[in-house]
Amino acid sequence: MDKQTILQVYETMLTIRKFEEKALHLFEENKLRGSVHLSIGQEAVAAVVGAYLRDKDYITSTHRGHGHAIAKGARPDKAMAELMGRETGYCGGRGGSMHIADVEKGNLGANAIVGGGIPHANGAALSAQLRGTDQVAVSFFGDGAANEGIFHETLNIASIWKLPVIFICENNQYGMTTAVDSVTSVKDIAVRAAGYDMPGEVVDGNDVFAMEKAVKKAIKRAQDGEGPTLIEAKTYRWKGHWTGDPEVYRTRDEVEEWKTKCPIKRLEKHMQDKKILSLEQIEATHTKIDKLIDEAEEFALSSPDPDPATVLDNVYYEGDK
Amino acid sequence: MDIAAYDPLNETPYQILDAQGKVILDHWEQSLSDSELIEAFKNMLFVRQFDTMAISYQRQGRMYTYPPNLGQEALSVASGSVLQKTDWMVPSVREMGAWYMKGVSLKELFLYYRGHEIAQRFEQANRIMPITVPIASQIPHAAGVGYGIKFHGEKAVVLTFIGDGGTSEGDFHEALNFAAVWKVPLITVIQNNHYAISLPVHKQTASKTLAAKSLSYGMPGIRVDGNDYIAMHEVLSGSIDYARQGNGPVLIEALTYRRGAHTTSDDPKKYRTQEEEQEWEPKDPVNRLRSFLVHKNIWNPDEEAELIEGYRKEIDTQFLEAEQYPPHSLDDVFAYMFSELPPELEAQKQEYQDYLNATAQEPQK
Repeated sequence: MDKQTILQVYETMLTIRKFEEKALHLFEENKLRGSVHLSIGQEAVAAVVGAYLRDKDYITSTHRGHGHAIAKGARPDKAMAELMGRETGYCGGRGGSMHIADVEKGNLGANAIVGGGIPHANGAALSAQLRGTDQVAVSFFGDGAANEGIFHETLNIASIWKLPVIFICENNQYGMTTAVDSVTSVKDIAVRAAGYDMPGEVVDGNDVFAMEKAVKKAIKRAQDGEGPTLIEAKTYRWKGHWTGDPEVYRTRDEVEEWKTKCPIKRLEKHMQDKKILSLEQIEATHTKIDKLIDEAEEFALSSPDPDPATVLDNVYYEGDK
Repeated sequence: MDIAAYDPLNETPYQILDAQGKVILDHWEQSLSDSELIEAFKNMLFVRQFDTMAISYQRQGRMYTYPPNLGQEALSVASGSVLQKTDWMVPSVREMGAWYMKGVSLKELFLYYRGHEIAQRFEQANRIMPITVPIASQIPHAAGVGYGIKFHGEKAVVLTFIGDGGTSEGDFHEALNFAAVWKVPLITVIQNNHYAISLPVHKQTASKTLAAKSLSYGMPGIRVDGNDYIAMHEVLSGSIDYARQGNGPVLIEALTYRRGAHTTSDDPKKYRTQEEEQEWEPKDPVNRLRSFLVHKNIWNPDEEAELIEGYRKEIDTQFLEAEQYPPHSLDDVFAYMFSELPPELEAQKQEYQDYLNATAQEPQK
């Protein structure tokens, strides 16, 4: 990973982290209603994928999708406005936390239905294949989704048709409250690739360089017309499944242990060791991102709610206006 | 045989007999007795008569749509014969031999293909579920039955069937995952007959074998020559032992070929060549087992004509009985889902009854 990309990945991870910490804070202050699913602790996966995709490449995302959106180029202010249901948000405030779509940047949308976004990535990849472009599509999904029928149907077709698609399973150890090993018959979800004759790789999802290697390889394979790849990124979500999760299904020790594997701290240490950034520069980056997120908060809070008269807009296609 | 020792990615199927009915393994001991093999051959012959005659009845307009079994008799008869009375079978649509071996009567089958829902009670047979037409929907049922067996602490197993096309369905994935997580005694037999209606298996999946799907669930998987009765029997017995001992599920891919049409409403000429059909002819399961028995000097093929004559009479008698059965009534359509009909369905039933009454009074044009 060249220095410029390292810095980009770092800033993206920091933006995701601080964006989500802010979202949680706003939720706790009752300024952000509904719920938010936070990916704190998992930032490396989204940030690295985002760094190696171009705007014209596609992603489909999940209920835990703030990180994917930001890594793919979403602006924190418009994203925060969407979380708060404001008119200035990415979907005019209609989508909220779980449905950010940013088509200009290739984000075809988050999807709250478990596994729901997986086949959409296939469709985008098929479109690229039919149009003869070098675009690739990436689908993010969780360990729970890997047990859904749609996972199986999508990977099967992707491999038969050699679609330029990359399946990224963020194995954060829990499908909501359910430990992955209590509902999954194999230790590594990546082995499922064998059933479709595609490569499958287990990656430390908290290690940006391990992610880099796997993602680059998968993108090359997709662009060379060789077909899909399944990447299983082992990671961990520090927060509950959602903001109201009492977390009775895991121990505090387990959470604390994973916090020692923080992807951001790991990269900060690496950058200091390799003299890419000094401690002062790291602190300055924090300050810069803090400011960005404060502005996003301010933008969202000062944005208007959608006009009730427009409630039926965007439900049906009404022709190009 | 140690079923867990096989490599699911191995494209060469487990096989005992070649196309001429000769044993191809160097060290092989016959585990079935001669009389058991003769019995198996007779059953395959019987199933083939049933199949041929069922197609005729359908063509005569005396039966509805029927899925021919021609060429797939070895795997179905073997599957039915390895099960004990207390074991469960969850059918798909094209393994009549297995149902027959489980005790399903021909009369019930004919009734079923004449549209009588009640026939699927399979009253003579123990522990068999109804025939399942929606692709792969039976696999979650089978996993559930397997869980039930485990829950009740029984020593039984459950055996289910699916086609090559069914392996691409989400239900297949969800069911096998849970079967493996819960280590239920489930044996899933994939009848890879090379076509899902008109779609050839190489367009169905990119994996080298369908047995390879087992890798996704961490269960043993094996590809076997499904037209080789003896190989099929060995693999099934090994799988059932494995499952019965509490080791969990097994996936079997039985290679075979649907020599007939998908159903009586299908014309395979539209999607496959005659050359291909001819290629599979010598691999026919009935001929193969017959050759083996003849080589062993324990079967005289000259006796077959008389045997077949007797089979055809028996089959025809049962068909005539089914044909004499009173026509299905309107009640039948509503009868087998709810013990007490919900008001919406009650209203539908009344509406349809009124329609029937009204049309009955209309003069014929």
